[in-house]
Amino acid sequence: MQNNRTSQNKTFALTKIMKSKAFSAFTSALLAIILGLLIGFLVMVIAGPEKAVLGFRTVLTGGFKKLGNVFYYATPIMMTGLAVGFAFKMGLFNIGASGQYTMGMFFALYAGFMWKLPVGIHWIVCVLAGMVGGMLWGLIPGIFKALLNVNEVITSIMFNYIGMYLVDMLIQQNATMYVATTTRTAYLPVSSQLPSLGVRNSNVNISIFIAIAIAIILFIILHMTTFGYELKATGYNKHASKYAGMNGTRNIILTMAMAGGLAGLGGAFYILAPATIPGSSMTYEPINIIAANGFNGIAVALLGNSSPIGIIFSSIFISHIQRGGTLTSLYGYKPEIIDIVIAIIIYFSAFSMLMKTAVGSYLKRSYSRRHTETERKEEADIPNPSELKDEVDIPSAVDAPPDTKKDTVRATKTEEKDAVNVTEDIKLETLQEENTAVNNLKAGEEEV
Amino acid sequence: MDIFYYLIQNTLPVMVALLLVALGGMFSERSGVINIALEGIMLFGAYIGCLFVYFIEKSSLPSQIILLLGMVVAACAGLVFSLLLSMAAVNMKADQTIVGTALNMLVPAGVLLFSKMFFMSDGVTTNINFYVRNVPVLGKIPILGELFFQNTYISVYIGILILILATVVFYKTSFGLHLRACGEHPQAADSVGINVYRMRYAGVSISGILGGIGGFFYAVGVTNGNSNGHTGVAGFGFLALAVMIFGQWKPIKILFAALFFAFLRTMAYSVALIPFLKSLNINQTYYKMLPYVATMVVLAFTSKKSRAPKAEGIPYDKGMR
Amino acid sequence: MENYIIEMLHITKEFPGILANDDITLRLRKGEIHALLGENGAGKSTLMSVLFGLYQAEKGEIRKSGKPVKINNPNDANGLGIGMVHQHFKLVDIFTVLENIILGVEPKKMGFIDKKEAREKVINLSRQYGLKVNPDELIEKISVGMQQRVEILKMLYRENEILIFDEPTAVLTPQEIDELMDIMRGFAKEGKSILFITHKLNEIMAVADRCTVLRKGKCIGTVDIKDTTKEELSKMMVGRDVSFKVDKKEAEMKEVILKVQNVTVPSHSHKNNAVKNVTFEVHAGEIVGIAGIDGNGQTEFINALTGLDKMSNGYITLCDKDITKATIRGRSKSGMSHIPEDRHKHGLVLDYSLEENMVLQRYWQSEFENKGFIRKMKVRSYAEDLITRFDIRSSQGPVTIARSMSGGNQQKVIVAREIDKEHKLLIAVQPTRGLDVGAIENIHRQLVATRDAGKAVLLVSLELDEVMNVSDRILVMYEGEIVGELDPKKITVQELGLYMSGAKRDVVKENGNAK
Repeated sequence: MQNNRTSQNKTFALTKIMKSKAFSAFTSALLAIILGLLIGFLVMVIAGPEKAVLGFRTVLTGGFKKLGNVFYYATPIMMTGLAVGFAFKMGLFNIGASGQYTMGMFFALYAGFMWKLPVGIHWIVCVLAGMVGGMLWGLIPGIFKALLNVNEVITSIMFNYIGMYLVDMLIQQNATMYVATTTRTAYLPVSSQLPSLGVRNSNVNISIFIAIAIAIILFIILHMTTFGYELKATGYNKHASKYAGMNGTRNIILTMAMAGGLAGLGGAFYILAPATIPGSSMTYEPINIIAANGFNGIAVALLGNSSPIGIIFSSIFISHIQRGGTLTSLYGYKPEIIDIVIAIIIYFSAFSMLMKTAVGSYLKRSYSRRHTETERKEEADIPNPSELKDEVDIPSAVDAPPDTKKDTVRATKTEEKDAVNVTEDIKLETLQEENTAVNNLKAGEEEV
Repeated sequence: MDIFYYLIQNTLPVMVALLLVALGGMFSERSGVINIALEGIMLFGAYIGCLFVYFIEKSSLPSQIILLLGMVVAACAGLVFSLLLSMAAVNMKADQTIVGTALNMLVPAGVLLFSKMFFMSDGVTTNINFYVRNVPVLGKIPILGELFFQNTYISVYIGILILILATVVFYKTSFGLHLRACGEHPQAADSVGINVYRMRYAGVSISGILGGIGGFFYAVGVTNGNSNGHTGVAGFGFLALAVMIFGQWKPIKILFAALFFAFLRTMAYSVALIPFLKSLNINQTYYKMLPYVATMVVLAFTSKKSRAPKAEGIPYDKGMR
Repeated sequence: MENYIIEMLHITKEFPGILANDDITLRLRKGEIHALLGENGAGKSTLMSVLFGLYQAEKGEIRKSGKPVKINNPNDANGLGIGMVHQHFKLVDIFTVLENIILGVEPKKMGFIDKKEAREKVINLSRQYGLKVNPDELIEKISVGMQQRVEILKMLYRENEILIFDEPTAVLTPQEIDELMDIMRGFAKEGKSILFITHKLNEIMAVADRCTVLRKGKCIGTVDIKDTTKEELSKMMVGRDVSFKVDKKEAEMKEVILKVQNVTVPSHSHKNNAVKNVTFEVHAGEIVGIAGIDGNGQTEFINALTGLDKMSNGYITLCDKDITKATIRGRSKSGMSHIPEDRHKHGLVLDYSLEENMVLQRYWQSEFENKGFIRKMKVRSYAEDLITRFDIRSSQGPVTIARSMSGGNQQKVIVAREIDKEHKLLIAVQPTRGLDVGAIENIHRQLVATRDAGKAVLLVSLELDEVMNVSDRILVMYEGEIVGELDPKKITVQELGLYMSGAKRDVVKENGNAK
């Protein structure tokens, strides 16, 4: 790409954007969202065709009427999204955000009800207590993974259940927290509530700014510090990180504890919020159900491509359609439609990287072909080697969670039918070095 | 002694649900696909099965026939639903854990939506008795009869039959050999002309069938014919995964692992009936946590030597390093 | 006219951006041993994959006994009697030998696998061809040589007539290679036709009737072995005269840098120790080569030496400092550089950029780190400096993603990083694996230059030529033990082979085998 002519700067700027990680992440997220919404719309059509269009419009725009609450509900899933996304960068799937969130919520509640602290300090202590609770619940699966090599997926699922039972029991046993008649927790003391932003009819409070600040700090940690360098290196290739002398055990435990802390903050931010009636606060009902916000965090993280900045936007988006979803009940639809949409978004996120690469490389190739033709005219049929390179340089999804990114490269390669029969040696090399013209020559022979 | 009988009689229906789902997981994982969606598959099978029973329970069919029909319906439901996983995992080469998570979230949401729309409730409750108080002849055998053939469900016997069938298919047929090859070394399987895609589809589909049946048996034998979107199957799908790992992906060992977990769970829910445990005066919630804690302990001890199928979780054609 | 059993005519196979096979024609006579020669990356494996149905060619035609055939998958190939021994064995570890042989073509009785019939057939074949195996042993429990026999039996069981051997000798001792050659000659005598892929000229001269040479995806020509010489073949393969000798002066041994004493490493795959009681020294200014067949404990030894794995006994000192218990980072700080065996697994973070990979061992040093933050400008200028000094080619300079670089340039990144880092000892494990001749020569020069700069170099290689040409001293490893210390100038390849196969040993330790 170094010997590009200036006359083509414009088109090259375009390719540069198309090649950038953020762009490919954005297109893939968009694709998953469109598919998710489309199926959501279909469900609405089946459930009640006559009002489906109205209902669907409410899903898309209803949130605008409740912006305050969009931001309030975005906060906890932003935090669980960060909890999942941050661990993803390390190559860990933190499906336990739910339990960590519940734990964080409990710790915050406990500090709110049981400790008497001055106004202005109390809520800060409660928030920190929530973080500690989440950390604890992230730490344990982290230790299991790092020291005993137990798969973090199973352990954190188990911890979701253990945490849920434990918290519900502890709340029900505590007469200060629990009001038996309403089967919910009592209103928190005002000193422990988060400072409200004063938007009418909404719970929005200071925590949305704290959450965004945390996301930005995480972005800086990931991209500018040695810890972030180690973390991403481990996520991309844990063998190489070990070879480079990085302390994998410490990093796994640290990452899981940090992720847990983030999810715990989410729980604290959710429960410590002042409600719309003055003096009241959010309450929790212990009925042995796993917290959904933990799983919504997975959708948020996937849509945001695990990037902290992306997660800010994806959490607001998910919260937006959730608010819209609750409003559809005006037309007789059930808000569960949004849960279905979210599940479908996750489903397609898992392989939209692949589809996007297919689309992207098709665009690229057709562009590249045109480009080569003009080139040829200019240079009297001398094919320029850089052109070849350009053509195979598929915008790879480098920033994806480690498991999804490798398949992307393959997508355009051989047709599905051939792919069935390709065996290891050949595949291995062509896959790894697909982008390089020179290397493809080696197909199958490099590995000795 | 009565308590002992009671515990065993109540353990078996729980055990069967875990056993079948874990066997399903085994077929899927030994073919190379991680099936974390078992939880969702179970609930889907349970819900569709119960829905079916709900609609035909007023007919004059004998209850055990209804149970068998419900089982077939649940199996079909599980099979169809599992195609969502196999398609993503095999054709689209998606991340299997994430797809599984998505499917686990999809089912309860769908169940809730559907039930709220049509029943104004969060699930469906059947109103028919599948309980078998005493199996003719066999129930009269001293001790054994009381242990295994009284106060039970026919699901227990179906489960054992399926276990035997699964073991034979797994170890004695070409199909089983091919399936296991695909989970260990798909390139080797491919090079001798085995269609890896087809075998993986088969593996996941079997897990769909067994997961669906397991879910239905859970609803029949554990929740008394109720299936709803709020509590779902209470993490049984995940416990079944733990059972499968504890059973080291081998059918007979899975049987014993399932028995172990089922016993723990039954005990947790029968604390009030066991004088010794009752006298300890520990909150029952602790016992409810027991199966999950046990899973952690078991995994911690077995992780070093457990040997998962080598190619599991790796989409085929991806070229593993 | 002639009796060709297989003809591959004008085969062209293209991968995005590159022609892996460009108009290649290969004709195999019935009953001949036909060698397919070429460098790494010449397109040999691609061509054979086309014949075996793993790839479909864009252009060209395959004929069997004169009739055009379509081969879409390995099943088709099998149906035409084509079998292949793959370079990486296609065997299922947890299956028995018998199960692996019959996989895909199991004899059945009432729907169940009939192992009895299969076992008889396998035992007969194994007797007939002298391929001794135990049908009920698990693959993971048998040696690599034995596994190769299983692969050959797989073809015989399927009654294949056309046998493809893909680099079959890489895992064998010279003596085992001779045995394999005999078996191949036996097959040819019986009328089976053999395609033999290799880049080793001696083997071709010894066994082949004819040889087709590929270079950079093109067919250079087919020659009769009796009318040609090794030199001529090598010129065809590389495109220029190749000196097999590495230019170097006599080594000037100085002080001891690395001292390894009684090192024992337990194995992960079996109960025995993978490395037993290994003791040796490496001095500044010399290259010590460790030779041995793959799987004789070299990998485990290097892992223990570099700290990637734990050892159960013995100690290691580096410049008189005990590093037995040191961490990987600690060893690196004490002056150990390591070019790892697998550059994709250990050597590089493929999704990191070139510059990020350049500081993989040094990002934490104060030169590149400030209060926990990475000094990106420093990293950039350092990477640019190394790129110029080591002539690393990439499409976008320091920001190129490592995955998109060619294998040779990826290896250069690792070599540059490890050599430029402050070090006393350079450990190079299979540093030229999978590279073409140009890149190999370059890396050999770098190793010699490192030695001449007064560093100690420990080279581990499976390539006999490399060990013989580059090292100043050779240690032979067999079943986890050092069985001989040899001078490359005074020893022949045959002799070295005897050590490698365990037939001969010098060093007998008085304390015997460890545990």
